Amino acid sequence: MTIADGLKAAALLFIAAIMQVSIFTQIHVFGGVPDVLLVTLVAIALLRGAIVGAGGGFFAGLLVDTATLGQLGLTSLVLTVAGYWIGRYGETTGRDRAHAPFLSVAVVTILYSVGLLLVHFVLGERAPAGAMLEGLGPAIVLNLILTAPVYALVRRLLRPLERSDLATEVQLLG
Amino acid sequence: MAVLASSAQRKSDRHPSRGRSAGVRRAVLVVLVLGALALLTISFRSPTSGVLHDAQGYGASALRPFQVAAERVARPFRDAYGYVSSLTGAKSENVKLRGEVRRWRAQALANQAAAKENASLKRLLDYEQGPTYPKDYRAVNASVISFPSGPFDQQLTISAGSNRGLRVNTPIVSADGLVGRVTNVGRETATVALLTDPDSVVAARDLTSKVSGLIEHGQGNTLILDHVAKEQVVNKGDMIVTQGTRDRRYPDLYPYGIPIGQVISVGTSDIASYLTVQVAPFAKLTTLDAVAALVPTKPSKLP
Repeated sequence: MTIADGLKAAALLFIAAIMQVSIFTQIHVFGGVPDVLLVTLVAIALLRGAIVGAGGGFFAGLLVDTATLGQLGLTSLVLTVAGYWIGRYGETTGRDRAHAPFLSVAVVTILYSVGLLLVHFVLGERAPAGAMLEGLGPAIVLNLILTAPVYALVRRLLRPLERSDLATEVQLLG
Repeated sequence: MAVLASSAQRKSDRHPSRGRSAGVRRAVLVVLVLGALALLTISFRSPTSGVLHDAQGYGASALRPFQVAAERVARPFRDAYGYVSSLTGAKSENVKLRGEVRRWRAQALANQAAAKENASLKRLLDYEQGPTYPKDYRAVNASVISFPSGPFDQQLTISAGSNRGLRVNTPIVSADGLVGRVTNVGRETATVALLTDPDSVVAARDLTSKVSGLIEHGQGNTLILDHVAKEQVVNKGDMIVTQGTRDRRYPDLYPYGIPIGQVISVGTSDIASYLTVQVAPFAKLTTLDAVAALVPTKPSKLP
Protein backbone atom coordinates (compact mmCIF):
# COMPACT_ATOMS: atom_id res chain seq x y z
CA MET A 1 0.00 0.00 0.00
CA THR A 2 1.55 3.24 -1.15
CA ILE A 3 1.00 6.70 0.28
CA ALA A 4 -0.94 7.61 -2.83
CA ASP A 5 -3.21 4.63 -2.28
CA GLY A 6 -3.69 5.66 1.34
CA LEU A 7 -4.61 9.18 0.32
CA LYS A 8 -7.00 7.93 -2.32
CA ALA A 9 -8.66 5.59 0.17
CA ALA A 10 -8.91 8.38 2.74
CA ALA A 11 -10.39 10.75 0.16
CA LEU A 12 -12.88 8.13 -0.95
CA LEU A 13 -13.97 7.45 2.62
CA PHE A 14 -14.14 11.16 3.39
CA ILE A 15 -16.40 11.85 0.40
CA ALA A 16 -18.49 8.78 1.14
CA ALA A 17 -18.90 9.82 4.80
CA ILE A 18 -19.95 13.35 3.85
CA MET A 19 -22.38 12.02 1.25
CA GLN A 20 -23.73 9.53 3.73
CA VAL A 21 -24.48 12.04 6.50
CA SER A 22 -25.66 14.78 4.13
CA ILE A 23 -27.57 12.97 1.43
CA PHE A 24 -28.08 9.25 1.85
CA THR A 25 -29.48 9.37 5.36
CA GLN A 26 -32.44 11.30 3.95
CA ILE A 27 -33.30 8.59 1.45
CA HIS A 28 -35.80 6.21 2.95
CA VAL A 29 -37.10 3.48 0.71
CA PHE A 30 -39.53 1.06 2.35
CA GLY A 31 -37.91 1.80 5.70
CA GLY A 32 -34.39 1.10 4.47
CA VAL A 33 -31.56 3.62 4.17
CA PRO A 34 -28.70 3.07 1.70
CA ASP A 35 -25.21 3.21 3.22
CA VAL A 36 -22.71 4.38 0.63
CA LEU A 37 -20.01 4.66 3.30
CA LEU A 38 -20.31 1.02 4.23
CA VAL A 39 -20.22 -0.03 0.58
CA THR A 40 -17.14 2.11 -0.05
CA LEU A 41 -15.42 0.69 3.00
CA VAL A 42 -16.18 -2.84 1.86
CA ALA A 43 -14.73 -2.10 -1.57
CA ILE A 44 -11.54 -0.60 -0.11
CA ALA A 45 -11.11 -3.42 2.39
CA LEU A 46 -11.59 -6.05 -0.30
CA LEU A 47 -8.98 -4.40 -2.52
CA ARG A 48 -6.44 -3.42 0.12
CA GLY A 49 -6.78 -5.91 2.95
CA ALA A 50 -7.51 -6.12 6.65
CA ILE A 51 -5.26 -3.40 8.04
CA VAL A 52 -6.43 -0.80 5.56
CA GLY A 53 -9.98 -2.01 6.11
CA ALA A 54 -9.71 -1.64 9.88
CA GLY A 55 -7.97 1.74 9.67
CA GLY A 56 -10.43 2.96 7.07
CA GLY A 57 -13.33 1.83 9.19
CA PHE A 58 -11.95 3.66 12.21
CA PHE A 59 -11.36 6.84 10.21
CA ALA A 60 -14.76 6.71 8.50
CA GLY A 61 -16.56 6.05 11.77
CA LEU A 62 -14.78 8.95 13.39
CA LEU A 63 -15.87 11.23 10.55
CA VAL A 64 -19.48 10.14 10.84
CA ASP A 65 -19.57 10.50 14.61
CA THR A 66 -17.94 13.92 14.38
CA ALA A 67 -20.18 15.21 11.61
CA THR A 68 -23.33 14.05 13.37
CA LEU A 69 -22.10 14.98 16.86
CA GLY A 70 -22.88 11.45 17.91
CA GLN A 71 -21.15 9.22 20.45
CA LEU A 72 -17.51 9.37 19.39
CA GLY A 73 -16.10 5.93 18.77
CA LEU A 74 -19.42 4.17 18.39
CA THR A 75 -19.49 3.97 14.60
CA SER A 76 -15.70 3.65 14.55
CA LEU A 77 -15.87 0.52 16.69
CA VAL A 78 -18.33 -1.25 14.43
CA LEU A 79 -16.77 -0.11 11.16
CA THR A 80 -13.28 -1.05 12.34
CA VAL A 81 -14.35 -4.63 12.98
CA ALA A 82 -16.34 -4.71 9.72
CA GLY A 83 -13.42 -3.35 7.70
CA TYR A 84 -10.97 -5.80 9.25
CA TRP A 85 -13.22 -8.77 8.69
CA ILE A 86 -13.93 -7.88 5.06
CA GLY A 87 -10.25 -7.20 4.52
CA ARG A 88 -9.37 -10.67 5.76
CA TYR A 89 -12.06 -12.12 3.54
CA GLY A 90 -10.58 -10.26 0.55
CA GLU A 91 -7.11 -11.50 1.38
CA THR A 92 -8.18 -15.11 1.68
CA THR A 93 -11.32 -16.80 0.35
CA GLY A 94 -12.80 -13.73 -1.34
CA ARG A 95 -9.77 -13.18 -3.49
CA ASP A 96 -10.64 -12.80 -7.20
CA ARG A 97 -14.22 -13.84 -6.65
CA ALA A 98 -16.64 -11.80 -8.70
CA HIS A 99 -19.39 -12.19 -6.15
CA ALA A 100 -17.19 -11.17 -3.23
CA PRO A 101 -18.24 -7.47 -3.15
CA PHE A 102 -21.93 -8.32 -3.24
CA LEU A 103 -21.68 -11.08 -0.68
CA SER A 104 -19.55 -8.86 1.55
CA VAL A 105 -21.93 -5.93 1.29
CA ALA A 106 -24.97 -8.11 2.06
CA VAL A 107 -23.34 -9.76 5.07
CA VAL A 108 -21.73 -6.59 6.39
CA THR A 109 -24.99 -4.67 6.12
CA ILE A 110 -26.57 -7.21 8.44
CA LEU A 111 -23.61 -7.38 10.82
CA TYR A 112 -23.21 -3.60 10.85
CA SER A 113 -26.88 -3.11 11.76
CA VAL A 114 -26.77 -5.79 14.42
CA GLY A 115 -23.46 -4.45 15.73
CA LEU A 116 -24.80 -0.90 16.05
CA LEU A 117 -27.89 -2.25 17.74
CA LEU A 118 -25.80 -4.21 20.21
CA VAL A 119 -23.53 -1.29 21.04
CA HIS A 120 -26.53 0.99 21.58
CA PHE A 121 -28.11 -1.69 23.74
CA VAL A 122 -24.96 -2.15 25.81
CA LEU A 123 -24.73 1.60 26.31
CA GLY A 124 -28.31 1.61 27.58
CA GLU A 125 -29.54 3.74 24.71
CA ARG A 126 -32.67 3.28 22.65
CA ALA A 127 -32.21 0.14 20.52
CA PRO A 128 -35.35 -0.56 18.49
CA ALA A 129 -34.68 -4.04 17.10
CA GLY A 130 -38.06 -4.16 15.37
CA ALA A 131 -37.42 -1.00 13.38
CA MET A 132 -33.92 -2.20 12.50
CA LEU A 133 -35.22 -5.56 11.27
CA GLU A 134 -37.98 -3.86 9.33
CA GLY A 135 -35.54 -1.71 7.37
CA LEU A 136 -32.83 -4.34 7.03
CA GLY A 137 -34.17 -6.03 3.90
CA PRO A 138 -34.61 -2.82 1.90
CA ALA A 139 -31.22 -1.57 3.17
CA ILE A 140 -29.52 -4.72 1.87
CA VAL A 141 -31.16 -4.32 -1.51
CA LEU A 142 -30.23 -0.63 -1.71
CA ASN A 143 -26.63 -1.34 -0.71
CA LEU A 144 -26.40 -4.13 -3.27
CA ILE A 145 -27.62 -1.67 -5.92
CA LEU A 146 -24.86 0.72 -4.88
CA THR A 147 -22.21 -2.01 -4.81
CA ALA A 148 -21.56 -2.33 -8.54
CA PRO A 149 -20.90 1.36 -9.32
CA VAL A 150 -19.06 2.05 -6.05
CA TYR A 151 -16.86 -1.02 -6.35
CA ALA A 152 -16.09 -0.17 -9.99
CA LEU A 153 -15.07 3.35 -8.99
CA VAL A 154 -12.93 2.23 -6.08
CA ARG A 155 -11.34 -0.47 -8.19
CA ARG A 156 -10.51 2.13 -10.81
CA LEU A 157 -8.81 4.34 -8.26
CA LEU A 158 -7.19 1.57 -6.26
CA ARG A 159 -5.93 -0.91 -8.80
CA PRO A 160 -6.11 -4.49 -7.56
CA LEU A 161 -2.75 -5.86 -6.56
CA GLU A 162 -1.17 -8.40 -8.81
CA ARG A 163 -1.46 -12.06 -8.02
CA SER A 164 2.18 -12.23 -7.10
CA ASP A 165 1.57 -9.59 -4.47
CA LEU A 166 -1.06 -11.73 -2.93
CA ALA A 167 1.29 -14.71 -2.36
CA THR A 168 2.44 -13.76 1.05
CA GLU A 169 3.48 -15.26 4.31
CA VAL A 170 5.60 -18.02 2.86
CA GLN A 171 6.59 -20.36 5.61
CA LEU A 172 10.11 -21.74 5.25
CA LEU A 173 10.68 -25.25 6.43
CA GLY A 174 13.97 -26.86 7.27
CA MET B 1 15.16 -21.26 0.75
CA ALA B 2 17.08 -18.03 0.62
CA VAL B 3 15.35 -17.18 -2.62
CA LEU B 4 12.00 -17.93 -1.13
CA ALA B 5 12.83 -15.91 1.94
CA SER B 6 13.96 -12.88 0.00
CA SER B 7 10.99 -13.19 -2.31
CA ALA B 8 8.62 -13.34 0.60
CA GLN B 9 10.34 -10.36 2.22
CA ARG B 10 10.22 -8.32 -0.97
CA LYS B 11 6.58 -9.07 -1.61
CA SER B 12 5.67 -8.32 1.93
CA ASP B 13 7.28 -4.90 1.57
CA ARG B 14 5.15 -4.18 -1.49
CA HIS B 15 1.96 -5.17 0.24
CA PRO B 16 2.32 -4.30 3.90
CA SER B 17 -1.20 -5.13 4.89
CA ARG B 18 -0.82 -8.68 3.72
CA GLY B 19 2.85 -8.99 4.22
CA ARG B 20 2.96 -8.15 7.86
CA SER B 21 2.66 -10.95 10.24
CA ALA B 22 -0.67 -11.97 11.66
CA GLY B 23 0.50 -10.57 14.96
CA VAL B 24 0.99 -7.08 13.58
CA ARG B 25 -2.35 -7.25 11.85
CA ARG B 26 -4.09 -8.29 15.02
CA ALA B 27 -2.20 -5.67 16.99
CA VAL B 28 -3.45 -2.98 14.62
CA LEU B 29 -6.99 -4.25 15.04
CA VAL B 30 -6.68 -4.36 18.83
CA VAL B 31 -5.22 -0.84 18.94
CA LEU B 32 -7.99 0.53 16.75
CA VAL B 33 -10.71 -1.24 18.69
CA LEU B 34 -9.23 -0.08 21.99
CA GLY B 35 -9.01 3.43 20.56
CA ALA B 36 -12.63 3.31 19.54
CA LEU B 37 -13.62 1.97 22.95
CA ALA B 38 -11.60 4.69 24.67
CA LEU B 39 -13.29 7.37 22.57
CA LEU B 40 -16.63 5.78 23.26
CA THR B 41 -16.01 5.65 26.99
CA ILE B 42 -14.85 9.24 27.24
CA SER B 43 -17.63 10.45 25.02
CA PHE B 44 -20.19 8.45 26.98
CA ARG B 45 -18.97 9.72 30.35
CA SER B 46 -18.93 13.39 29.38
CA PRO B 47 -21.23 13.81 26.41
CA THR B 48 -21.63 17.58 26.70
CA SER B 49 -18.31 18.82 27.97
CA GLY B 50 -14.60 18.08 27.99
CA VAL B 51 -11.72 18.24 25.59
CA LEU B 52 -13.07 15.48 23.39
CA HIS B 53 -16.44 17.18 23.11
CA ASP B 54 -14.76 20.44 22.17
CA ALA B 55 -12.62 18.68 19.60
CA GLN B 56 -15.70 17.02 18.20
CA GLY B 57 -17.38 20.41 17.95
CA TYR B 58 -14.42 21.83 16.04
CA GLY B 59 -14.39 18.79 13.81
CA ALA B 60 -18.09 19.14 13.10
CA SER B 61 -17.59 22.81 12.26
CA ALA B 62 -14.77 21.90 9.91
CA LEU B 63 -16.90 19.28 8.20
CA ARG B 64 -19.91 21.56 7.96
CA PRO B 65 -18.86 23.30 4.69
CA PHE B 66 -18.40 19.93 3.03
CA GLN B 67 -21.80 18.84 4.21
CA VAL B 68 -23.38 22.05 2.94
CA ALA B 69 -21.66 21.62 -0.39
CA ALA B 70 -22.85 18.04 -0.65
CA GLU B 71 -26.36 19.11 0.22
CA ARG B 72 -26.31 21.80 -2.46
CA VAL B 73 -25.03 19.40 -5.06
CA ALA B 74 -27.61 16.83 -4.11
CA ARG B 75 -30.53 19.23 -3.70
CA PRO B 76 -31.85 19.06 -7.29
CA PHE B 77 -31.74 15.28 -7.17
CA ARG B 78 -33.30 15.23 -3.74
CA ASP B 79 -36.03 17.61 -4.86
CA ALA B 80 -36.74 15.42 -7.86
CA TYR B 81 -36.83 12.35 -5.66
CA GLY B 82 -39.04 14.15 -3.16
CA TYR B 83 -41.41 15.22 -5.91
CA VAL B 84 -41.77 11.70 -7.26
CA SER B 85 -41.95 10.27 -3.77
CA SER B 86 -44.62 12.76 -2.70
CA LEU B 87 -46.66 11.95 -5.80
CA THR B 88 -46.50 8.27 -4.98
CA GLY B 89 -47.16 9.05 -1.34
CA ALA B 90 -50.10 11.29 -2.22
CA LYS B 91 -51.65 8.54 -4.29
CA SER B 92 -51.29 5.92 -1.60
CA GLU B 93 -52.40 8.43 1.06
CA ASN B 94 -55.44 9.26 -1.04
CA VAL B 95 -56.37 5.59 -1.23
CA LYS B 96 -55.80 5.23 2.50
CA LEU B 97 -57.87 8.31 3.32
CA ARG B 98 -60.70 7.17 1.07
CA GLY B 99 -60.72 3.88 2.93
CA GLU B 100 -60.81 5.74 6.23
CA VAL B 101 -63.69 7.93 5.06
CA ARG B 102 -65.61 4.81 4.07
CA ARG B 103 -64.95 3.23 7.44
CA TRP B 104 -65.93 6.36 9.37
CA ARG B 105 -69.04 6.82 7.26
CA ALA B 106 -70.09 3.24 8.00
CA GLN B 107 -69.29 3.81 11.66
CA ALA B 108 -71.34 7.02 11.72
CA LEU B 109 -74.28 5.25 10.13
CA ALA B 110 -73.95 2.40 12.61
CA ASN B 111 -73.83 4.92 15.45
CA GLN B 112 -76.91 6.70 14.16
CA ALA B 113 -78.75 3.42 13.87
CA ALA B 114 -77.62 2.41 17.34
CA ALA B 115 -78.72 5.76 18.78
CA LYS B 116 -82.11 5.40 17.14
CA GLU B 117 -82.46 1.85 18.39
CA ASN B 118 -81.34 2.96 21.82
CA ALA B 119 -84.04 5.61 21.90
CA SER B 120 -86.64 3.05 20.81
CA LEU B 121 -85.49 0.59 23.47
CA LYS B 122 -85.58 3.29 26.12
CA ARG B 123 -89.11 4.21 25.21
CA LEU B 124 -90.00 0.53 25.17
CA LEU B 125 -88.51 0.15 28.63
CA ASP B 126 -90.56 3.12 29.83
CA TYR B 127 -93.66 1.45 28.49
CA GLU B 128 -92.78 -1.88 30.10
CA GLN B 129 -92.29 -0.14 33.43
CA GLY B 130 -95.38 2.04 33.01
CA PRO B 131 -98.85 1.56 34.48
CA THR B 132 -100.46 0.47 31.20
CA TYR B 133 -98.21 -2.56 30.82
CA PRO B 134 -100.37 -5.69 31.13
CA LYS B 135 -99.98 -7.88 34.18
CA ASP B 136 -99.05 -11.54 33.91
CA TYR B 137 -96.91 -10.87 30.86
CA ARG B 138 -93.18 -10.51 30.60
CA ALA B 139 -91.58 -8.50 27.84
CA VAL B 140 -89.11 -10.11 25.45
CA ASN B 141 -87.35 -7.28 23.66
CA ALA B 142 -86.28 -7.81 20.09
CA SER B 143 -84.94 -5.89 17.14
CA VAL B 144 -86.76 -5.71 13.86
CA ILE B 145 -84.48 -7.45 11.38
CA SER B 146 -86.60 -7.23 8.26
CA PHE B 147 -89.38 -4.91 7.23
CA PRO B 148 -92.34 -5.32 4.91
CA SER B 149 -90.92 -5.58 1.43
CA GLY B 150 -93.80 -3.77 -0.23
CA PRO B 151 -97.35 -2.50 0.05
CA PHE B 152 -98.75 -6.01 -0.22
CA ASP B 153 -96.57 -7.43 2.49
CA GLN B 154 -97.64 -6.51 6.00
CA GLN B 155 -95.25 -8.69 7.93
CA LEU B 156 -91.90 -8.16 9.56
CA THR B 157 -89.29 -10.35 11.20
CA ILE B 158 -87.97 -9.89 14.71
CA SER B 159 -84.84 -11.22 16.41
CA ALA B 160 -86.52 -13.41 18.99
CA GLY B 161 -88.00 -16.83 18.62
CA SER B 162 -89.11 -19.91 20.44
CA ASN B 163 -85.88 -20.03 22.44
CA ARG B 164 -87.07 -16.92 24.25
CA GLY B 165 -90.61 -18.07 24.79
CA LEU B 166 -92.38 -16.73 21.71
CA ARG B 167 -95.24 -18.73 20.27
CA VAL B 168 -97.69 -18.28 17.42
CA ASN B 169 -100.14 -15.46 18.31
CA THR B 170 -97.83 -13.86 20.87
CA PRO B 171 -98.75 -10.15 20.92
CA ILE B 172 -96.10 -7.73 19.76
CA VAL B 173 -96.01 -4.14 20.99
CA SER B 174 -93.85 -1.09 20.63
CA ALA B 175 -93.48 1.79 23.02
CA ASP B 176 -96.35 3.51 21.20
CA GLY B 177 -98.83 0.68 21.11
CA LEU B 178 -99.89 -2.60 19.58
CA VAL B 179 -97.94 -3.75 16.54
CA GLY B 180 -99.41 -7.15 15.71
CA ARG B 181 -99.00 -10.80 16.57
CA VAL B 182 -96.60 -13.61 15.82
CA THR B 183 -97.71 -15.73 12.87
CA ASN B 184 -94.68 -17.92 12.46
CA VAL B 185 -91.93 -18.71 14.90
CA GLY B 186 -88.44 -20.07 14.46
CA ARG B 187 -85.82 -20.80 17.06
CA GLU B 188 -84.28 -17.35 17.04
CA THR B 189 -86.61 -15.33 14.85
CA ALA B 190 -90.32 -14.83 14.44
CA THR B 191 -92.61 -13.40 11.79
CA VAL B 192 -95.06 -10.76 12.93
CA ALA B 193 -98.28 -9.89 11.13
CA LEU B 194 -98.88 -6.16 11.51
CA LEU B 195 -102.22 -4.65 12.46
CA THR B 196 -102.50 -3.53 8.87
CA ASP B 197 -102.33 -7.13 7.64
CA PRO B 198 -105.57 -8.11 5.84
CA ASP B 199 -105.98 -11.16 8.10
CA SER B 200 -105.50 -9.23 11.32
CA VAL B 201 -108.53 -8.79 13.59
CA VAL B 202 -108.26 -7.38 17.10
CA ALA B 203 -111.06 -7.02 19.60
CA ALA B 204 -110.95 -3.38 20.73
CA ARG B 205 -112.87 -0.78 22.65
CA ASP B 206 -113.21 2.95 22.81
CA LEU B 207 -111.83 4.12 26.12
CA THR B 208 -114.16 7.10 26.30
CA SER B 209 -117.49 5.70 25.10
CA LYS B 210 -116.75 2.08 26.12
CA VAL B 211 -117.96 0.99 22.66
CA SER B 212 -116.50 -2.32 21.48
CA GLY B 213 -115.61 -3.38 17.96
CA LEU B 214 -113.06 -5.15 15.81
CA ILE B 215 -109.94 -3.45 14.54
CA GLU B 216 -109.24 -4.43 10.96
CA HIS B 217 -107.03 -3.09 8.22
CA GLY B 218 -108.14 0.02 6.41
CA GLN B 219 -106.85 2.02 3.51
CA GLY B 220 -103.16 2.74 3.44
CA ASN B 221 -101.70 2.56 6.92
CA THR B 222 -104.96 3.24 8.71
CA LEU B 223 -107.24 0.88 10.62
CA ILE B 224 -111.01 0.51 10.83
CA LEU B 225 -112.98 -0.04 14.01
CA ASP B 226 -115.62 -2.31 12.58
CA HIS B 227 -118.86 -3.78 13.91
CA VAL B 228 -119.85 -0.62 15.77
CA ALA B 229 -123.60 -0.17 15.60
CA LYS B 230 -124.95 3.04 14.13
CA GLU B 231 -126.60 4.07 17.34
CA GLN B 232 -123.30 3.91 19.25
CA VAL B 233 -121.40 7.13 19.83
CA VAL B 234 -117.81 7.33 18.82
CA ASN B 235 -116.02 10.66 18.59
CA LYS B 236 -113.04 11.81 16.71
CA GLY B 237 -109.97 11.73 18.97
CA ASP B 238 -111.15 8.83 21.12
CA MET B 239 -108.48 6.36 22.19
CA ILE B 240 -108.84 2.75 21.11
CA VAL B 241 -107.31 -0.03 23.20
CA THR B 242 -107.39 -3.80 23.15
CA GLN B 243 -110.51 -5.34 24.58
CA GLY B 244 -108.85 -8.19 26.40
CA THR B 245 -110.48 -11.37 27.65
CA ARG B 246 -114.08 -11.06 28.74
CA ASP B 247 -114.97 -14.74 28.71
CA ARG B 248 -112.59 -17.14 30.45
CA ARG B 249 -113.61 -19.93 28.11
CA TYR B 250 -112.54 -17.92 25.05
CA PRO B 251 -109.46 -15.98 26.01
CA ASP B 252 -108.46 -13.10 23.77
CA LEU B 253 -105.05 -13.17 22.13
CA TYR B 254 -104.32 -9.73 23.52
CA PRO B 255 -104.45 -8.54 27.13
CA TYR B 256 -106.64 -5.61 27.99
CA GLY B 257 -105.55 -2.04 27.62
CA ILE B 258 -102.81 -2.07 24.99
CA PRO B 259 -103.11 1.23 23.07
CA ILE B 260 -104.02 0.67 19.43
CA GLY B 261 -104.74 4.07 17.98
CA GLN B 262 -106.84 7.18 17.86
CA VAL B 263 -110.09 7.81 16.00
CA ILE B 264 -109.46 10.19 13.13
CA SER B 265 -112.88 10.11 11.46
CA VAL B 266 -116.36 8.76 12.06
CA GLY B 267 -118.83 8.31 9.25
CA THR B 268 -122.01 6.53 8.36
CA SER B 269 -124.41 6.00 5.47
CA ASP B 270 -128.06 5.13 5.15
CA ILE B 271 -127.53 1.64 3.86
CA ALA B 272 -124.68 0.64 6.19
CA SER B 273 -125.40 -1.24 9.39
CA TYR B 274 -122.28 -0.05 11.19
CA LEU B 275 -120.39 3.17 11.68
CA THR B 276 -117.28 3.74 9.62
CA VAL B 277 -114.66 4.53 12.27
CA GLN B 278 -111.23 5.23 10.92
CA VAL B 279 -108.35 4.79 13.37
CA ALA B 280 -104.72 5.90 13.06
CA PRO B 281 -102.45 3.39 14.80
CA PHE B 282 -100.14 4.71 17.52
CA ALA B 283 -97.32 2.38 16.56
CA LYS B 284 -95.26 3.63 13.65
CA LEU B 285 -95.54 0.41 11.76
CA THR B 286 -93.20 1.37 8.93
CA THR B 287 -90.30 2.61 11.02
CA LEU B 288 -90.05 0.19 13.89
CA ASP B 289 -86.62 -0.49 15.38
CA ALA B 290 -87.35 -2.38 18.56
CA VAL B 291 -90.42 -4.21 19.74
CA ALA B 292 -91.45 -6.30 22.72
CA ALA B 293 -93.18 -9.63 22.64
CA LEU B 294 -95.68 -10.12 25.44
CA VAL B 295 -95.00 -13.62 26.66
CA PRO B 296 -97.53 -14.79 29.24
CA THR B 297 -96.06 -15.83 32.54
CA LYS B 298 -98.86 -18.41 32.73
CA PRO B 299 -98.73 -20.80 29.74
CA SER B 300 -102.50 -21.04 29.43
CA LYS B 301 -102.86 -17.41 28.43
CA LEU B 302 -102.59 -18.17 24.72
CA PRO B 303 -104.71 -20.68 22.88
